[in-house]
Amino acid sequence: VQPPEKPLQAEEWNRLREGFKSPEMFEEVMFNSMVRCNSPIDVAKSLLTHVAKSNGDIAYNLLVKYLALCVQQGQASEICDVYDIMKIRFRNLESGAYNLLIKGLSNSDHWRMALALLEEEKKIMIPSRTSYESCIKAASRHQEINRAFELYHEMLAKDLVPTLDVLQAFFDFSRGMKGAELQKELFDILLYLRENQIYPHKTFMQSIKLWFESIPGGNWRGHLTNIKDSGHCPVCHHQLEESDLTNEEYNNLREKIIRDVIHGTDTFRKTSPQEFEAFQTFVEDRLPFDIVIDGLNVSHIKLKKMQCENLFNAVNCLAKENARLLVLGRKHMLTNSSNWKREIMKEMQNKADFFFAENTSEDDAFLLYATLQSGKHCKFVTRDFLRDHKACLSDSRMRHLFRKWQRGHQIEISAGEKHINFLSKKKLFVFIQQPAFQYDCVVQTTGDTWHIPYKDIFEEKDSYEVPRKWLCIQQKR
Amino acid sequence: MQSANVLLKKIVRSSILPFAVQNGMKKDLFPLSRTLSLSLCLKQDNSSSPSEKLDLDAWKKVMKSGLQEEVSETVSDRKELSDMAAARELLEMWRLAGRSVPEHVSEEQLKTLTECPSKSAKKKYLKYLYLKELYKKNDKRKMDEKRQRRLETEEQASETDETKKHSFIYLLASSMDRAYNWRVAQSMTFGQPLVFDMSFEKDMSVREVADTVRQLVLSEGFNRRSVDPFHIHFCNFQDDSLYHKEFIKHYKEAWGKLLITVTDQCYTDVFPRDKLVYLTADSPKVLKTFDHNKVYIVGSMVDKSIKTGVSLAHAKRLGLETAALPLEKYLLWNSGAKNLTLDQMMHILLTLKDTGSWKKALEFVPKRKHCGFVSTPVHELKITLNLINMLKRGQRQEEVQKQFAKSYSKKLTRK
Repeated sequence: VQPPEKPLQAEEWNRLREGFKSPEMFEEVMFNSMVRCNSPIDVAKSLLTHVAKSNGDIAYNLLVKYLALCVQQGQASEICDVYDIMKIRFRNLESGAYNLLIKGLSNSDHWRMALALLEEEKKIMIPSRTSYESCIKAASRHQEINRAFELYHEMLAKDLVPTLDVLQAFFDFSRGMKGAELQKELFDILLYLRENQIYPHKTFMQSIKLWFESIPGGNWRGHLTNIKDSGHCPVCHHQLEESDLTNEEYNNLREKIIRDVIHGTDTFRKTSPQEFEAFQTFVEDRLPFDIVIDGLNVSHIKLKKMQCENLFNAVNCLAKENARLLVLGRKHMLTNSSNWKREIMKEMQNKADFFFAENTSEDDAFLLYATLQSGKHCKFVTRDFLRDHKACLSDSRMRHLFRKWQRGHQIEISAGEKHINFLSKKKLFVFIQQPAFQYDCVVQTTGDTWHIPYKDIFEEKDSYEVPRKWLCIQQKR
Repeated sequence: MQSANVLLKKIVRSSILPFAVQNGMKKDLFPLSRTLSLSLCLKQDNSSSPSEKLDLDAWKKVMKSGLQEEVSETVSDRKELSDMAAARELLEMWRLAGRSVPEHVSEEQLKTLTECPSKSAKKKYLKYLYLKELYKKNDKRKMDEKRQRRLETEEQASETDETKKHSFIYLLASSMDRAYNWRVAQSMTFGQPLVFDMSFEKDMSVREVADTVRQLVLSEGFNRRSVDPFHIHFCNFQDDSLYHKEFIKHYKEAWGKLLITVTDQCYTDVFPRDKLVYLTADSPKVLKTFDHNKVYIVGSMVDKSIKTGVSLAHAKRLGLETAALPLEKYLLWNSGAKNLTLDQMMHILLTLKDTGSWKKALEFVPKRKHCGFVSTPVHELKITLNLINMLKRGQRQEEVQKQFAKSYSKKLTRK
């Protein structure tokens, strides 16, 4: 239905209502389309008046829809009126109404009322993170930065995840302000980004940069840069943090992988206790490896090639400088077939250690175990993102550690083609090897420098991709 | 007019309100008085000047009039609410806001609601109750309509009133039951066993267990009515388990009289190991033919969150043979998980036992999950698909021709 452009008289509404196919839904549908078309508020009022006069009452959901229209158009005094009416009519309000009220009032002169409403909502339920966001923004916009931080901490304590907008607002509104405490709070936000491996987007990064540069007497200077593969910052010549885990973190991760990923609820789901034990002794006897290869994954790199040929190429490519290789596979690779030639398999087994799991077992779990058991220098090769294994880990801290370790230790391999000769159409098969990162891609500081990776666009990058662009901030003494 | 309205209400309230509010009667009481006075007010408006400018804020007056005093009482008395009361309040507000929540909630359901860990869990649970209520209501309406129609036809029949002569005896449901029971009793001694593994309770949520039992009840019903029933075994069945409770809910006192074998023993203790085959969708092996000498095991598990390899793990632990239905081989799979419900499994196995035809048996796979039966074996389809792709690329033409000739000659020789 198309909402009318001007307020209507009661009879006119009646006529419209009778023309509608299900009259009992008429008001609801009409209000929905008013919100959608952003109709003038007077039209909505005239419908409300009509409803009030014919029923003597207006249902809660209609009031909420009217509220949504008012919020959409920033009609602060009208929002206050609706709130008064709701308060008279209903014992409690539900979260939808609170969200709208808080959102609408926080942008107006009545922003203090939004804070009061938040307090009121807290008594009956946990407010949504957008409600917090509105209040925090309103408070910091009106220089009540302490109140804003209070709300922010409260929100974190309730396990709500702040939006990037809120975090950015803190930097925007603290620009040019003095105070050691404030500075500490903002540094804490940066550390929050670090803890949770969040990367700010470009405009957020600009806010951070401007804030740093605006600190009175701070002498901070920010530059945009790309960090080299070695982890060297071209601006301040600092070496970025290594991606290695601490010994404690490493051991913790290894134990959790064995407990949650390999054993899980039932060892038989991914392997069997006998097989796992056999694998453990196999690995212990031959430790340490330098590179662990997921044989089946690598064998599918080039679909036109025979699978064992792919694997053979990959092993040859990696078997330089006496690196100790372990290839993980399944037993079916040993049966001579069109894809797995026995001679080639034999030849490969001279260059690398092989372990063949049962056909019903998951080789990825073995891959993780063997790599972690070999020590920090050991890398692994697979194109799998290992998301399902990450998901098996029980807590988010471990998942972050896993991602960090994965970034530093996973070598990705893909097939490329190269014409050897312009005339002949023959192509040479080469490997493009994407090395593991030398440095850790998180927000980091040394006290007088900050390095902050950022995303070019707002949209979330795929979780396995890390940004290549950095903000380097240093303090000139 | 407004003041008269308020006055009227005040009078009404002062006399009955203390009781009316508590008994929730105000809803019925006030609209009446309000419409009464409002209609007067409307009339007056119209008569005075129809072209008069619309009072856009009139609704506020209506909403603010009355009710003020009594609400202020209720506001003051809500300080600390118990969990249950808070949940009821939440439900009430969500209903007002037009969300999908049920009309009636039992104490038990309310308690489950308070135990929901998050807001979204609460929403989901309420939506589930809402839909359940809706279905029930629809069923009831249909039943009533049916009864109405039957009464009408009966009336008509009684008008015409003629006595019919039947050449057959009217078979009562109870005598049918007797016949079915006889067959199932026979199967208990001579029939092929079919095992349901009841050891998945810890892998399921309460609702999943309830669904499992519902499917098992259906399966048992199908089995009872078939020509040559299986001898159903519930193995690893613990008394006082959630399964047990749900079964009693469904069967009531008939639970003890069912013609099935229920045991807390494992199937490996009841049957020789080499005869057991665990049916699971995760099995690497595909079932080729139905073997009348084997004992097939079906895991009694509904996994809404697709827990891969749970039942395969059981078979691996006990070193049993496993098998999956040849769904890929006979059906062009479209979407959905390959795990089927227990009653569908029962249908398929019964049909296989009776006819041995995969095509007939796999009719029971839901139609939405596949696009139809494969007429030629899949590997032949794949070969032609590969040939088409190769022709498209225009590569290795000779090779294509060679292969084409090969397959062509094969076809000729086959004929």
